[in-house]
Formats: sequence, structure tokens, C-alpha cells
Amino acid sequence: MMEKMIFGRYVPAESVIHRMDPRSKLLIVFLFVCVVFIANNFWTYTLLAIYTFGMVGFSTISPRFLYAGLKPVLWLVIFTLILHVFFTKEGELILDLGLIKIYEEGLRQGIFISLRFFLLILMTSLLTLTTTPIEITDGLENLLNPLKKIKFPVHELALMMSISLRFIPTLMQETDKIMKAQIARGVEFSSGPIKERVQAVVPLLIPLFISSFKRAEELAIAMEARGYRGGEGRTKYRQLSWTSRDTVMIIVLALMSVLLFLLRD
Amino acid sequence: MKLRTIDLTLAAMFVALMAVGANITSFVPFMTVGGVPITLQTFFALLAGLILGARLGAISMTVYAAVGLVGVPVFAKFGAGFSTIISPTFGFILSFIIAAYAAGKIVEKNRTLPAFIAAALTGLVINYVLGTNWMYFAYKLWAAAPDGFTYTMAWLWMVVPLPKDIILAVFAGMMAHRLEKTVLSKGSFSFLRKAA
Repeated sequence: MMEKMIFGRYVPAESVIHRMDPRSKLLIVFLFVCVVFIANNFWTYTLLAIYTFGMVGFSTISPRFLYAGLKPVLWLVIFTLILHVFFTKEGELILDLGLIKIYEEGLRQGIFISLRFFLLILMTSLLTLTTTPIEITDGLENLLNPLKKIKFPVHELALMMSISLRFIPTLMQETDKIMKAQIARGVEFSSGPIKERVQAVVPLLIPLFISSFKRAEELAIAMEARGYRGGEGRTKYRQLSWTSRDTVMIIVLALMSVLLFLLRD
Repeated sequence: MKLRTIDLTLAAMFVALMAVGANITSFVPFMTVGGVPITLQTFFALLAGLILGARLGAISMTVYAAVGLVGVPVFAKFGAGFSTIISPTFGFILSFIIAAYAAGKIVEKNRTLPAFIAAALTGLVINYVLGTNWMYFAYKLWAAAPDGFTYTMAWLWMVVPLPKDIILAVFAGMMAHRLEKTVLSKGSFSFLRKAA
């Protein structure tokens, strides 16, 4: 559980994509989400698919992990396909089964839009599969730095993210412990009418709140005792390094976007 | 906007509480009503607003969304990752930010039980309105759903969990009030008072 929380969905490996700077990966994902909507015909979708599968190939992530990440959203892809195939009534009729009529345009739209979805999910999953949550947090903090000018608390947000990463497993264990302690004292969680079961949650939640407030206070005192005084002038242990590899990757995506523009109808 | 160290740690704790609440059924397997696992996400989001106050509550929920997006499995069903942005239910996660803010704003001056419950219900309404509209437009725009998918259909979808959520919202209001009266008013938790 602890491992799962700290590393998220990260799959360690030594690939080109893994070694990229989190900033360039974030930029690529944002750009990709935008350019994916340019595609509108066979060739543009083929190009997008080649690019995406190329990236997946470079990442050396096994399809097993990709599938695990895709599973929750995969029904959406299938749903989109079905919705279009059955409800779009344009173009030539290609299949007539009495009640069910499938039109050419519906099939085309269905395949294209679900493919667009599929590629989007693949690329965004790739980011979280090849980058640890801490790296992404560092990258985000760095990319959002300009927002500090408009008084947006970039550093504080990144720090809160890191703190919660550390405390999610702790509070999960705590919940488990409190629950067992209360069962030992005779609290009935599992039986009785709903009203009583909801009331039984109170002896679970009140101690949970108290302990998390206490932890928050202790942590704040510990931080201040060690001299924490906000983001001003803080240095970092983990340094981000932008290499030529990152520049090349961004250029490749930019070239592909230009090509998409030229090929679209 | 000045955040004290205690504000940072408190907001982070609520993110951790949200992570526990989203998957409470995996700790408390019997928190299942009629076969549907309950998530306490809305419950904790409302409490974040009610206890931490409008501003810090909203900040905390923003961090929750961000932590989930960077890949930590804190969303319901241990969901996470950047691909959640495309998911039609992402609107609900975003609505927690505004729901927490609104709930916190309402009880800012008036810290009585009816005000807490009213605030929690307002938060729930925001949660539903934003979440459902987002879901509708997500299907319309990303999935480019054809005309067969109507606005009413999106709302019909949401009728099922509604009673359970109303009960939980009222419960959140009562819980926040109880915490305020029994725990937070005690001397050792005075730091929270300043936060709110």
C-alpha cells in the first residue's frame, strides 16, 4: 500500500521516456491533447497513432501495465463507438437489421472518435507510468513558476502535494487501526439499519479527525523548528535537468503537428 | 495571500482524508448500501470547507485534484493519472473546490447547526450541478455524442445516488458542527480557529 501511494502508477525502467525531464513530458502531453483534435481523416489519424505507439514503444512499458491503466476508461471508448455507430444517421446505409441501421458516416465517426479517445488516454497514461508523482510535482512547480507574479501560491501547492503524498498511507493505516479498536470496544459497523450504521461511523471519524489535526500541528511545529519560512530563497535537493533529448522530443511533436495541419481536410 | 505553515499541513491532511474517504469501502467493507459502495469524497470535501474555511478548503481540494492527476491513486476506485482529465466524471472532482469554498463562505459568520447543514446542502447542489454539466459536455465535446444523448439523460443518471448524497451532506453539516463544539473549541486546537 505504502509503495503504491508513493510511486503512484509509476513503472520503473531505463527508457528514453523515463529519463526525459518531467517538464518536457508535461509540455508534450499538453500539446498532444491540443493537437489530437486537428486530426479529421484517415491519414491524420494514422499519423497520430504512429506517433503514440512510437512513444509507447520507446517507453518499454509492458502492455500489461498499459492495460491496467486503460481499463477504467476503456468502457468509455467502447461506449463512444457504440453511441456513434447506432445513433449517427448520415451517409450511406451499410447494414439494415430491421430496428438497427448502421450508416457509413456513423461507423466512420465512431471509429475516429473512439480512436482519438484511445490515443489521448494512452499518451496521458504514459506520463504517469514513466514519471513518479514527486517528479511531476517538481516539474509542475517549475512550469507554473511564472504564476507567482500574480500571487498564485505555486510553491505552497507543490509542498502541500508532497506532504499529502507522505501522509496518505499514514492516515490509511490509522483508519484501519481506529476501526479495529472500535470493533474491539463493541461498535457494530456491519449490521443494523442504515441509520445505526451511519451513526457507527461517528466513532470512526471523530478519532480520525483528531489524530489528523494533531499530526498537522506537530508537522507544522517540526517544520518551523527546522527553519521553514516559505518558498522564498529555498533550494532543491532534486534538480531538474533539461537535455537535448527533451528539445528533440518537443521538436518532433511540433513537426508532427505541422504535418497534421497539412494533411487534414 | 499568506499561508502559514499550519495552513499548509492542515490542507495536506484533508487531502489525505479525501483519499481515505474516496475508498472507504476498502477499509470498512460494510460501508456498502444496496450493493453500491459509498464514497465519502463529497462528505470530506464539504467538511474541508466547513472546518478549514472557504479559502483553505478550496486550496485543499485543488491539491487533492492535483495529487490525483500526477498519478497517486486518491480518486474513487483508486483511480489516478493524467487521463482522469478526459474522464466525464472529472467535473465532480473539480466541483469539490467550489463546493468547499461555498460551504466555508456560508458558515464564516454564522456557526450554528442550521447554517452548517444549509452550507453542506448548498455545497452538494454545486457538486451536482457542476459535475453533471461537465459530464454532459464531456460526452458532447470529447466523445462528440450524437443527438441521441440528451441533457435530461445526463441528469437521470444522477437521480440514483441523490438520496444517499443528501443524507451524507446533512451528516457532514452535523459532523462539522459537532467537531466545532466538542473538539475545536478546546484550547489545544485553537490553531484551527485562526485558520478558519
